[in-house]
Parts: sequence; C-alpha cells; structure tokens
Amino acid sequence: MFDHDIVAFIQSGVSITLAACAPGRVPSMSRGYACKPVDGDTIGIILPQTQAAEALDNIRLTGRVAVAFSQPTTNRTTQIKGTDARIVAFDPDDEHLVRKHIEEFVPEAVALGTPEEMVRALLSYQREDLVMVLFTPTSGFDQTPGPKAGHPLPATP
Amino acid sequence: MTPRLDTIRECLEGIIPGHIVTCDPGGMPNVAFLSQAEYIDNEHLALSYQFFNTTRRNVLAGSPVRLLLTSHLTARQYRLSLQYLRTETAGPLFERMKAKLAGIAAHSGMAGIFRLLGADIYRVLDILPVPGGTISPPPPAVNCLNALRHSTEHLSACANLECLLEKAVDCLEKKFGFSHLMLLMHDEARGCLFTLASRGYTQSGIGSEIPVGSGLIGICARERSPIRIGFMSSEYTYGRTVRDGLAAEGQIDALETAIPLPGLPNAASQMAIPIVAGDRLLGVIYVESLADLHFGYDEEDALVVFAAQLGLAMQHHQMTDEASDDMPVTERPPAPPQGALLTVRHFAANDSVFLDDDYLIKGVAGAILWALLNDFTRRGRTGFTNKGLRVDSRIRLPGASDNLEARLVLLQRRLAERNVGIAIGKTGRGRFALTVERPLTLVES
Repeated sequence: MFDHDIVAFIQSGVSITLAACAPGRVPSMSRGYACKPVDGDTIGIILPQTQAAEALDNIRLTGRVAVAFSQPTTNRTTQIKGTDARIVAFDPDDEHLVRKHIEEFVPEAVALGTPEEMVRALLSYQREDLVMVLFTPTSGFDQTPGPKAGHPLPATP
Repeated sequence: MTPRLDTIRECLEGIIPGHIVTCDPGGMPNVAFLSQAEYIDNEHLALSYQFFNTTRRNVLAGSPVRLLLTSHLTARQYRLSLQYLRTETAGPLFERMKAKLAGIAAHSGMAGIFRLLGADIYRVLDILPVPGGTISPPPPAVNCLNALRHSTEHLSACANLECLLEKAVDCLEKKFGFSHLMLLMHDEARGCLFTLASRGYTQSGIGSEIPVGSGLIGICARERSPIRIGFMSSEYTYGRTVRDGLAAEGQIDALETAIPLPGLPNAASQMAIPIVAGDRLLGVIYVESLADLHFGYDEEDALVVFAAQLGLAMQHHQMTDEASDDMPVTERPPAPPQGALLTVRHFAANDSVFLDDDYLIKGVAGAILWALLNDFTRRGRTGFTNKGLRVDSRIRLPGASDNLEARLVLLQRRLAERNVGIAIGKTGRGRFALTVERPLTLVES
C-alpha cells in the first residue's frame, strides 16, 4: 500500500475520477464521490450507478480500473490502478465519507471561482444510487504536471 | 437528443477541468486532466499536447478516446467519444492554443512547465449528456447577437471612414459593454499596426504602434486568427513583448515608440480579432479586462462577425474616398492667424514632426502634415484632396494599399488631442481642409 501521505491525500477534498475499459479498449469514466481505504490493501471508490453505468459494466467484464485524484487548488494529482476491481453494495454507514468529501471539495472548487451552488449540484446524489468499487492497487503514479509526472508513488516501507 | 458541440462550448473553457480517458493495448485504462480544449467546429475539437505521457502513448497506439466535460454554468456533464486525426505544430489554431495555454499555465502556477508541443485534432463521434444534478445557467452579461444587430445598423449608417471608426469603437463600448478596447490599423508596408482609436484608458495611445507578430495583437494579425486568453500571461503582455522583439531585431527606431501603447498592465482576459477584407488584413480589434475568463466563445463569435462587417465597410469607404469629388481646390488666403507663434519642426530622416518641441507624429502622417503646412504657409492653401496627396512626391505613400484615409484619421486625432491650433477635417468625399489658428514657423531639421 502507499505511504500515509498518499492515503490521506486520496481521502481529502480532491476530485475523484474512475475509468474502466470495455474489452475493445473503449474507455468509460465517472466522477467518484468518496474514497475509502479498506483493510490496508484495498481501496473503495463510492460513485453513483446512474452516472457510472458504462464504467461499472466494463469493470464487470475486465476488472481493470484507473482512478485519478486531484486537488484543484494545487494541481497535485495521483493516479492509482488495479486489475481486480469488483462492485459491492454501498454501506449506508459510509455516507459520512461522501458528506465529508463534498464538504472538503466544495471550498477547493469555490477557491477557484466556481459558485458553491454549482459544485453542490455537480456532486448531488441519492443514497440508493451509490455503489462502491473495490480494488487492490497494483500501481500508482504521481501525475502532478511537472518534473515528477509519471513517477511511481512512494510505498509504505 | 445528442447535443451539438457548439451548444456546449462553455465546457471546453476548462473552468471545470475536463478529463480524458484512454486505454493501453493491454486493456488498462488511464485518466488524465485536460489542460486545454479548443472548439473547431461541430465535428472537430483540438486538445493541447504538452507532454509525451500515457495518454499520448495510448492515443498513438490507437486507443479510442473519451472525454468527460462539465459545464460551469449548469453543472451538466457530457461524455464525448473522439477519434484522433492529426497534430498541428504551427498555424492559426496552434498559435491560438499556445497563447491560451500560456495564460492557463501562468494562472495555475505552471508557467515554464506547460508548453504547447502540438494541437491534437480530434473528430467528435458522439456526445452524451450524463445524468446528474444541474442548475439553471445565469443570464449572460450581454446578449451578443442583439449587440451585433444594433452595431450593424450603426455601422451601415456611416458615410465615411472617420464616422465608421468612431461608430465602431462606440458600439464596442456601448452595445457590447467592452470597457477597455483598441482599434488598430494595419500598415502593410512597415509590417506594423497603429492604434487609431481606443476607449477606457487614461492615455488614448492614438498613433502608438505594435509590430505584426508581437504580443497577442501582433500574433492575431500575423495569423489572421482570433486569439482569446482568460488569464494573465506575461508572455503575451504586448508592451514587454514589443520592446523585447524590437531590441532583438534592431528595429527600435523604425517603430513609433514615443507614443506609449495604451493597455491594462494587469489584463487577465484579452481578445484580439483580425479585421480582414478579402485577402487583406486591415486591422485588429482588441478588448481586455482585469477579470479572469471575461470573454467567451459567444463574444468571440460576435466580434468576428462585427470585424467582418467593419472590414468590408472600411474597404468600401477607402475606395469611395479615392474617387474624390472633382471640384477645384480652393486656395483663398485665409485671415492671418493671431496669437503666439507655433514652431513646427520636421526631421526628414523619419518624417517626425514636433510642435513647439513636443513630439506629434512621424512616418507617412508626419510627411502629410509637413506638406500641408508648407502649402499653407507658402500659398495659403487650406483645401486638399486624397487624390492630390497620392501624387505628391513629398509624401511617398507606400503603394496602392496605403491606408491613406486611415492615416488622415490618425493625423486628425493626434492634432485634436494636442489641441495647439492646427486641425484637419473632412469637407467632402476624398476632400479635407486644414485649419491653422496660430502663426507658424516651419523649421526643417
């Protein structure tokens, strides 16, 4: 697993984007609404089924995912990939993670001039529409524009 | 229903960063953030290519490409399917994107990191709205189409170039609501643009010049392409660029540098639109604002149409001014002017003219004024024609595309700004009169 700094970063008010690919290499994507590290080796991404329907179909077919985490105010960006992704039901006890994510993401976006109303509309959801994608990271990269772009993420010693 | 790309262009502004997803030959997906996307037409868009990264590797390896774009006005998201076509590394689109990227880079602390290597052109195969929460878009600050309609009516009503130019800047200010703007004319022979009118600045800067190719305005002129940036970029601050460029090329003396360029030193949003008629570049319209992302695609579209109409009207008025009314020029001795003596000094090397040691103008406009004042002091002549100036060996107009009428407007405005008792004004088609209200001494240096 990645070092503590990365694990804290992907759970902060970053934008989350999950991508998957169909067997014919056609990619699909959806915004994620929260990130939940599970049992030390697995990451959970909470996202809305209606928006992510195509990506979820692809995950069922291939199990491969890539998830980008980016902090709007700093451009710090990280991408984590896995090959064993699976879809599990959303645990209503995890809703506080979604609420926390939104509350931390809103000031990030507002700081760049986006109206709060717009950001909240973008991340609005219905609890029954949420699902979680679980996967074991097999690789991770720093994707912040600059000299370190493409470097592997530091792992826990 | 699949939306047309031109109806969701605001998503390409990058206010909410877009995502690009691709897939490697082994089937592993990849997500990246778009730095910049540019609308080309309803079937094509361009993405900036800055680094050889996983996205590019995947694209070149034949990956299908999808984008996730978000409207900052409505929060509506769209998924676009794209097909990569080619990469452009020069030309109008490349320069447009390079300028815009420089602003984005400066704004996001990425100056020196973001550098445009190419404009990747994609065909848009499909656009799908993504279900999700949305808000009503705010009303636009200006109804651009309506502003254009009213401006068109005003421009059509003008009978000469002077009126046309005045109405043009009036419309840009009052109909479109641009509070800082310039209208520059192209001097083909000297490869530069000169400011003929401006609004919103402490100093009008009329007569100031910028070389074609320098700064945002100069690049717009060189490429004959609209350029619009939404964030401040020192790379495109024209004052600095002009001086740097000239110093490098050893042209400082050739350009008008005594009259400072107007302009906001900290402009965040800048937009330059070429005025073209047929295959000729006639000038550039430039607007700017201290606010980030102040101009959008709609303003750009409207100004492109405005500039097209202005270009045709300018060409028309220049042509009709050629055909001056063939009436004899009056040469009646005017009443001797009264008041303090005004010394007018002319330097033949660059045709610069000084009024009581204060610089007025140089180049063709300087030569014209010197000829007029000589005719006035020697023969009492006050009436002149464009046709006469054209054959006047003292003036040396640079051939057919000489912009004579525009140069006369420039001279008229510089004289009006100085307000020291010399003026010129139109008296008919292709005709104008000189008014001198003070006794003159002409000194050739």
